[in-house]
Amino acid sequence: MSDLDELDRPGTAPHPGTRDVHPEKEPATTITNSATTDSPTTDSAPAHSAVTDPTAPEAAADPKVPGSRKPASGPKVPGTAEPAAGRKVPGTAGPAAGRKASAPRRGAADPVKALMHRHRELCERAVDPLEIAAGLEAHGITDRTAARFRHRDVFSLAEEMYARVSRDGDTPLPAPPATPRVRAGWALLSLLPGALCAAAVTAVHLSHGQSRLLAAAAGGLAVALALRAALRRGPLSRTDAARPGPRPGAASGRTTPWTVWLIAYSLLGNGLLDSALAGGPAALPTGTADGPWPLTAAPVLALALACAPAAWTAHLFTVRTRRRLGASRGLEDFAAAVRPLLLGTIALFLGALAGLVTLCAAVLDEPAVLAQALALGSLLFLARLLTTHGFTYAPAVVLTAAATIEAAALATVFASRLPGLGFLATPVETLVAPWGAGSVPALACGVAALTLLVHATRKLTRASAHAPPEPAP
Amino acid sequence: MRIGLLTEGGYPYVSGDARLWCDRLVHGLAQHEFDVYALSRSQHQEDEGWIPLPRNVRRVRTAPLWMAEDDEVALGRRARRRFTECFGELAAVLCGAPGASPGGASGAAGGISGSASSATGGAPTSEADRFANALYGLAELAREEGGLTGALRSEAAVRTLERACRAPGAHRTAREARVPDLLTVATHLERALRPLSLDWYEDDGLGAVDLCHAASGGTAALPGLLARHFTGVPLMVTEYGVRLRTHYLTAPDAPPAVRSLLAALQGRLAAEAYRQAEVVTAGNTHARRWQERCGAEREKLRTVYPGMNARPFAEVGESPDCVDPDTLVWVGRVEPAKDLVSLLHAFAEVRKQSPRTRLRIVGTPAGPEGAAYLGHCRTLAAQLFPDEAEGPHAAGDNPVSFEETGGPELPALADAYASGAVTVLSSVVEGFPVGLVEAMLCGRATVSTDVGAVVEVIGGTGLVVPPRNPRALAEACVALLRDPERRARLGAAARARALELFTVEQNIEAFHGIYLEIVSRAPVRRALLDGAGEPLPFAIPAEAHVSVRWTAASPDLAARGGPGWAASRPVRATTPLPAPEGAR
Repeated sequence: MSDLDELDRPGTAPHPGTRDVHPEKEPATTITNSATTDSPTTDSAPAHSAVTDPTAPEAAADPKVPGSRKPASGPKVPGTAEPAAGRKVPGTAGPAAGRKASAPRRGAADPVKALMHRHRELCERAVDPLEIAAGLEAHGITDRTAARFRHRDVFSLAEEMYARVSRDGDTPLPAPPATPRVRAGWALLSLLPGALCAAAVTAVHLSHGQSRLLAAAAGGLAVALALRAALRRGPLSRTDAARPGPRPGAASGRTTPWTVWLIAYSLLGNGLLDSALAGGPAALPTGTADGPWPLTAAPVLALALACAPAAWTAHLFTVRTRRRLGASRGLEDFAAAVRPLLLGTIALFLGALAGLVTLCAAVLDEPAVLAQALALGSLLFLARLLTTHGFTYAPAVVLTAAATIEAAALATVFASRLPGLGFLATPVETLVAPWGAGSVPALACGVAALTLLVHATRKLTRASAHAPPEPAP
Repeated sequence: MRIGLLTEGGYPYVSGDARLWCDRLVHGLAQHEFDVYALSRSQHQEDEGWIPLPRNVRRVRTAPLWMAEDDEVALGRRARRRFTECFGELAAVLCGAPGASPGGASGAAGGISGSASSATGGAPTSEADRFANALYGLAELAREEGGLTGALRSEAAVRTLERACRAPGAHRTAREARVPDLLTVATHLERALRPLSLDWYEDDGLGAVDLCHAASGGTAALPGLLARHFTGVPLMVTEYGVRLRTHYLTAPDAPPAVRSLLAALQGRLAAEAYRQAEVVTAGNTHARRWQERCGAEREKLRTVYPGMNARPFAEVGESPDCVDPDTLVWVGRVEPAKDLVSLLHAFAEVRKQSPRTRLRIVGTPAGPEGAAYLGHCRTLAAQLFPDEAEGPHAAGDNPVSFEETGGPELPALADAYASGAVTVLSSVVEGFPVGLVEAMLCGRATVSTDVGAVVEVIGGTGLVVPPRNPRALAEACVALLRDPERRARLGAAARARALELFTVEQNIEAFHGIYLEIVSRAPVRRALLDGAGEPLPFAIPAEAHVSVRWTAASPDLAARGGPGWAASRPVRATTPLPAPEGAR
């Protein structure tokens, strides 16, 4: 390897085995020198050095220039190469000697400064000297080139450049993370469940007998499919949907059956409970609000229509949290900023839902069961918001619990008809007697929603819940 | 001998990085068994499948780096505390914060065995120890709990990271980290530490091999480090391109805090791999210098030159005559770093002195940038050199021709080299100059620029001029064109040198020698336990330590008619291997 080391350096004593290396180099550099000495341009050094800098320091180090003989001997002997700290000595001696000899050169007084100017961006961007070294090497600077800057290798040259670069300015604020944009796709899809549900309710009202049953079934199916489509895209979809691999909590997050049960209860449950307490039900529901088993379609219609405000408020929440994420300096700041945002988002949604429920009840000419609808709506909205951000466990548990309580309320009423079990119906009766049948789902969903709200204020204020999607490798 | 080959995004995937030399290695060392442990880099790579594997590859285990296996592991309170301590220590080292107490980390990491040796004091060593302790602490936790993916993604990890960044003594760039930066760093850390959660380190996995050979540094070496920590298997790291340098050059643009923390992680990982490895091999002096810079000890470093398949070039290399004594050839991928403009200017100088010279530029453009550059060069050539005809009635053509191999004129790469008297290399940036080695194998005299590993490769058997110096390049070319005798002498010397240093056989033989050296110097000592948990004496016979299988009656052993260990030199790859075009 010592052979190679000698070969690396121009102008070493000729070695018997390496006769053929660089025989042409010396004349070539001399020619270059004579060409460059014709143009005494010291002022425009940076502009020129951008083009032909590799030859310029060589001209300075060339033994044929009388004044620079002494510093030129430095890099040739590897052992005596100047370390980074000591390189000022030849650096200051060199130009003085050069000026005295009045040899016009293009090399600036400080060749490293010119180099730094050329690689300014690299130097300012670098986080450690090795990054500068890697960047310099990618630009074709080798140890041989570094020797012209009185350095032993690229690493020590890079160290000097790293130490000399000024880092006084504040680092500019990073660009805010990309916020999701409003897309026509999800905006329209979120309107679809409401529209279909309205159509289904109208169809049920207008038809009779067999066709009414068909209309109800078809309407239910259509609404379910539309809901599924609406949850697949946009702000209500899982943020990690684009991530490859299995999703976390995919196994534990079976919330669909419980959600269906909760909605079905809000449609049929109150009527069933009322008639069960009265000794019924005597007949199957007829699909109207005035049969022996009356339907309450207003909350369901309102919930279906509320998909659109839910999507918009969730979108608003995402956009605002992303903005906070970029602006906050610490995790505590972020949590403090997101908490009111979350509460505001939920309040906004509840306001919209309340308006929709009142409107639907007025249109369908049903009693407005505001408490029940708001409790169920907030429960479903919170569960979806948590699921969207990757927390699937708590929504699954809470939804299951709420659905179980409702089922248990019905079951106790029916079980109390058995001889000796009459006491089972007492809790439900004491609840329904003063406040009506709607109080059971309102209570179950309300407690569940409150639990999820507490959970959400703890989980959704974490920065890790709002991590941008994983970068591509 | 059983070798665990660790790769990341490479062998045995079809689109892998270093699959060619790994393939040659596995084929060439047919007397050894290989277990391949591959980390895949993308779904696309996995879908493309594997290259055909030889019989001595016993098993292949793969794990995706691009997706996290969801473990659903919920850590208990004690495990959570251990995680926070180890991860906090890791983050503190990355942020450059001084440790709270010297022994704190090792106490936190639980039962760390004394594999982290050489605690001679001094700041760098203690820092490296802190990193190693934290890393192995996390690895042990992952092994006990069955995975750390969830914990590394949790808020606790981000919080720990924030605390480390805000700690007194942390680097300036780390202190400036904002919340999005913390999240990005946490994501990258989770990705980088995914090998910790793998189940490769049991006794039937990497514990069963005699030697781990990491085919690249960085993430691929991490399983080797853990195998060494858990089961004491010696590690060997081969780097043809230094992974840390690649990280610097390819890291995406990110805020300084993110880049500084990730660079620190890569640097620490590289240093730890070099520290624990028995032998670190570099592809050339340049890589070797980087490794030394990153903390590899000199005595561990070996240079193993990449191997090239010499067979396609044998015919050209051994025929002394060349087609056209007035032709210069340039072969390679066309891209701006090759500086063809400088070559064209040099050729203009050459034409002034010997007007009959022609230049053939053989190569395909690399990407859209290369295509644009090729168009630029074509225009420049047309401007510099008018078309020439032999007489007033003949159609002329340009003295500079741009060609590609594979056509009827140049069916193979060797023919391209054969068509010229002198091969020229005019790059301004170059790693290991494959084209130069090919020209040497063809026995051509070469003129190259002094970049990358050129001087190391050519070693006095060709002319070297400074880069970006067309005049010097032209002088050298003219000197060779005028002196056929010198050309022949240099070509013969170049071919001899290339055959000695840059063939597949020397590459395989070098690795084989290093394997034997490592196994003889750092054998794995395994103690078999009996039912009661006591070590079983004489459970492993002495033959188990012989580096070849000779207890099994293998057919080629009988054919050779001697004991296997007597002929343990590597079996040369006699079957024709895939053409080397893929390596270019």
